[in-house]
Amino acid sequence: MFLPAQYEFFCPVKTNSGNRALEHLPVELDALNARKPLIITSKDLSGRGLADVMADAFKDSGLTLGIFDGTSPAPDLKLIRELTKIYRHKGYDAIIALGGGSVMDAAKALNIVVSGRPEDLERAAGEDRMMKPLKPLIWVPAGEADGYESSKYATIGPLNFSSPYLMPHLVVLDPRMTIQENIEKTAASALIVLTHAVEAYTGPAKNPMTDAYAYAAIALIMTHLMDVMKIFQNEKGCLDLANAASMAGCAFSNSPKGLVHTLGSALALACGLSPGLCMGILLPYGLEYNTQKHGFHTLELLMPLAGPDVYAGTAGSLRSRKALDILYDLQDKLVQASGGMVPRKLADMKVPKEKLTEIAQTAGGENITGWEGGLSVLEQAWQGKPATPTS
Amino acid sequence: MDLPGYYEFCCRVKIIAGHDALEKIPGALAGLQARKPMIVTDQGVSGAGLIDIVTQAIKGRVTIGSIADDVPPDSDLRVVNRLAQVYREKGCDSLMAIGGGSVMDTAKGVNIVVSEKADDLMKFSGAGALKRALNPLIVVPTTSGTGSEATLVAVVKDHEKHLKMLFTSYFLLPDVAVLDSRMTLTLPPAITAATGMDALTHAMEAYTCLAKNPLSDAHALLAIDLISTHLVKVVKNPGDRDGRLALANAATLAGAAFSNSMVGMVHTLGHSVGVVCGVPHGVCMAILLPYGLEYNRHKNGHLTAELLLPLTGVDVYTKTPRDGRMDEVIARVRQLNQDLHEAAGGRHPRCFKEVVDKNGVAMVPHEKFKDIARTVLGDGSVFYNSEELDYDDSLMVLEAAWEGRPLDTSRIKKG
Amino acid sequence: MGDFREVTPGGNPLKRVYVAIMLWFVGRAIQAAAVVDDDVKKEFENLPDGFTFSLGVMPNGPTMIVGKNRRGKVKYLGWNPKGRLIDLKMKIKNLEAAILMFTFQESTAVANARVRMIVDGEVPPACAIVRVLDIVEVYLLAKIIAKLAVKRYPVWSFGRKWIGRTRIYFRAVLGY
Repeated sequence: MFLPAQYEFFCPVKTNSGNRALEHLPVELDALNARKPLIITSKDLSGRGLADVMADAFKDSGLTLGIFDGTSPAPDLKLIRELTKIYRHKGYDAIIALGGGSVMDAAKALNIVVSGRPEDLERAAGEDRMMKPLKPLIWVPAGEADGYESSKYATIGPLNFSSPYLMPHLVVLDPRMTIQENIEKTAASALIVLTHAVEAYTGPAKNPMTDAYAYAAIALIMTHLMDVMKIFQNEKGCLDLANAASMAGCAFSNSPKGLVHTLGSALALACGLSPGLCMGILLPYGLEYNTQKHGFHTLELLMPLAGPDVYAGTAGSLRSRKALDILYDLQDKLVQASGGMVPRKLADMKVPKEKLTEIAQTAGGENITGWEGGLSVLEQAWQGKPATPTS
Repeated sequence: MDLPGYYEFCCRVKIIAGHDALEKIPGALAGLQARKPMIVTDQGVSGAGLIDIVTQAIKGRVTIGSIADDVPPDSDLRVVNRLAQVYREKGCDSLMAIGGGSVMDTAKGVNIVVSEKADDLMKFSGAGALKRALNPLIVVPTTSGTGSEATLVAVVKDHEKHLKMLFTSYFLLPDVAVLDSRMTLTLPPAITAATGMDALTHAMEAYTCLAKNPLSDAHALLAIDLISTHLVKVVKNPGDRDGRLALANAATLAGAAFSNSMVGMVHTLGHSVGVVCGVPHGVCMAILLPYGLEYNRHKNGHLTAELLLPLTGVDVYTKTPRDGRMDEVIARVRQLNQDLHEAAGGRHPRCFKEVVDKNGVAMVPHEKFKDIARTVLGDGSVFYNSEELDYDDSLMVLEAAWEGRPLDTSRIKKG
Repeated sequence: MGDFREVTPGGNPLKRVYVAIMLWFVGRAIQAAAVVDDDVKKEFENLPDGFTFSLGVMPNGPTMIVGKNRRGKVKYLGWNPKGRLIDLKMKIKNLEAAILMFTFQESTAVANARVRMIVDGEVPPACAIVRVLDIVEVYLLAKIIAKLAVKRYPVWSFGRKWIGRTRIYFRAVLGY
């Protein structure tokens, strides 16, 4: 197993997962010295009754909770100001983000403000500017989750944040909440999770502590994703995927952003596409490129990807190839299971070939590959044909 | 990989690892707004020159408030309260524990007293007594190891009242753990073997006991892989820096695993042998590990079987038929003890009758078995074990472990 | 603001009553078992006189309290912990977790592994009390349910199990 000569790792997230996990919240809040949480969610989730399920979990606790469900898919500073007023006036002392994506972004931004002063928000933007832990922040995944929620990153309006202090103190995964509703979004989120975990596990900054989170995430996705795609509303499977998302977010926060993540995000932004579906297509091609050109630890990936029998049964020199083949194969399976909603190649997503160079150049400034490498990956992913086999 | 019905996992210790990790301590202290740490250690560590290595590495960049190097081999309440007094007198604002399990436990205890501005640790012995973060605590393990750098537990003994106090709180987790290969480079072979087996036990019990979960499993698997690759090599070649760093990582990974999914009967029995006979913890673990796996075989053998690949590698795994895997794991653990015994020049015992003190006196005589079995009844780790273990069961395992023969599986009462 | 509301969720009276009844019965059954069963008797003999323990639900009960008085007799001391000096508090984290335990969906061992309880007190007496609870559960429950509640269903003589069970039920209901 690869061990780096030196590394640093930090994951402040506590994970609670399983049957009746929500009901532990009063005790967990008490452990964080909080008594009055503000729950932030969206109309979509409260419309599905999830805010009520959350409130019911507090029965018998004697606590009072606030519920705000006006978070939009694109939260802005105005929303943060509104939430700050509520938090301060009503004397809340903890934030519970019920949902994913933008709900958690808003919660993280709000937490920066209420843990300090409103000006802090602009000052905190950028890389690692926060100096102290923030007030209690809990994430309760509901619906799809892609792992950004448990990560150190947040985006609100034009501001981007990155600090381990933004990671939630606690993630509460309860099967009543993690049920997913949209098969395409489920696949897309799972592909972001897989991308982040795989890039952390195989990349140059690999270390055993990050590996533990990434390993668990990859194993959970590979064991359960197809089950969820086939039997939708599979309560247990959805919980597994949400767990994987939270773990991948932790791994992602402890490794540099990888090629597939960067290209996928740039592509999604340039063409108005789902980042998950983009990363999902790019993953095997990007990893194949990195295995050949940058010595990524793809052979070790075979273990969490396929389990000990396959790992032991594959000759050492063929393990990287096998791992990549499994990833290509996963793409085919997803295309089939989703009835074509998950695309097979970039051309299927109506990405104009002429745009690829521009996208590669945008992404190129952000990673070790340089833009030509990114372009070759994009081109292969466009056609849907990998380059020469890795041996 | 499957989720249990419910689980919790937390390891929020920052890890700084490497061959030059010590040099990063000043930065870590600054990040915690700590300016004047008190170093807590013991005579063994300072005698081996390790404190000097640390102070050299941080020279000029950190003001050390005080160095306390008289922590006894067993964490002691009076020492904790006294060191807290020294901390206050010297105006310290943080703690740096450099040592093994009892040094780290002592430091955690001192941290409770000074952070809560109290004078007696006893006042905080209840669950939920700690309500907020403690003062900054950095730990530098010098064995690989107890994994205490990643656990939420501190054990402090009150030798006057013959009490063992257990403090459990997420606030006890250190802020930073510094894993530097220089800290274990001079660890003698027999201690390397024993502490390595302690870590292996943590990982294997965490993987096979009742509170297992995917995150602790992943940590455990990686730990087992590292230990099986490096332990014997390092015992034979103590100067293997990469091997030392690998084992340090493994101990922390195993610590994170068992801190979150607990341990089972190997610890229950091992603690009791340690308490009654004074045998070092790692030695008890090494001897009892195969017995724990064997005893629980009918309940969790399928989990034990999953440890074959990380424990032995691809060759043995492919040659072993599926239904033979769990027994192969147990046999391999016994073989590992044998290999370590040879590599450590006969100083790593393979069974309890081989455990002798420095005068050659046997430390685990038959007369003490009843006491040990009685002590087992007061140890909480048995509740996480897959099978029940009562007084008679303990005696049966002890007898087999004394002689070094496998358990008679027909005598195991199956629940 | 249509987006914001504040709620103070009330109680769960039916569940509370169910758990309260179960705790009451278990408390009185322990008192009975301390007379009827030799193993339970021995466990309490090893505990100091005056030792008191409680098993209850956070934050506000229901609770059951059992103690050993100065003359060594084990008594069920009621449901109200106020004013009592309790050496060992076994606190179930919330009402739902108590329901899982008392509807036998999670055995004591599983509930413990799933961190559903906080044990506040010394470990050796806690171990003794858990063993007592296991024995009492074997007496109170039919084998098919008790097997879910304990790790290893014991092999007892017909007399011990059936006569003991009758005596314990009798005593628990009548309260002596």
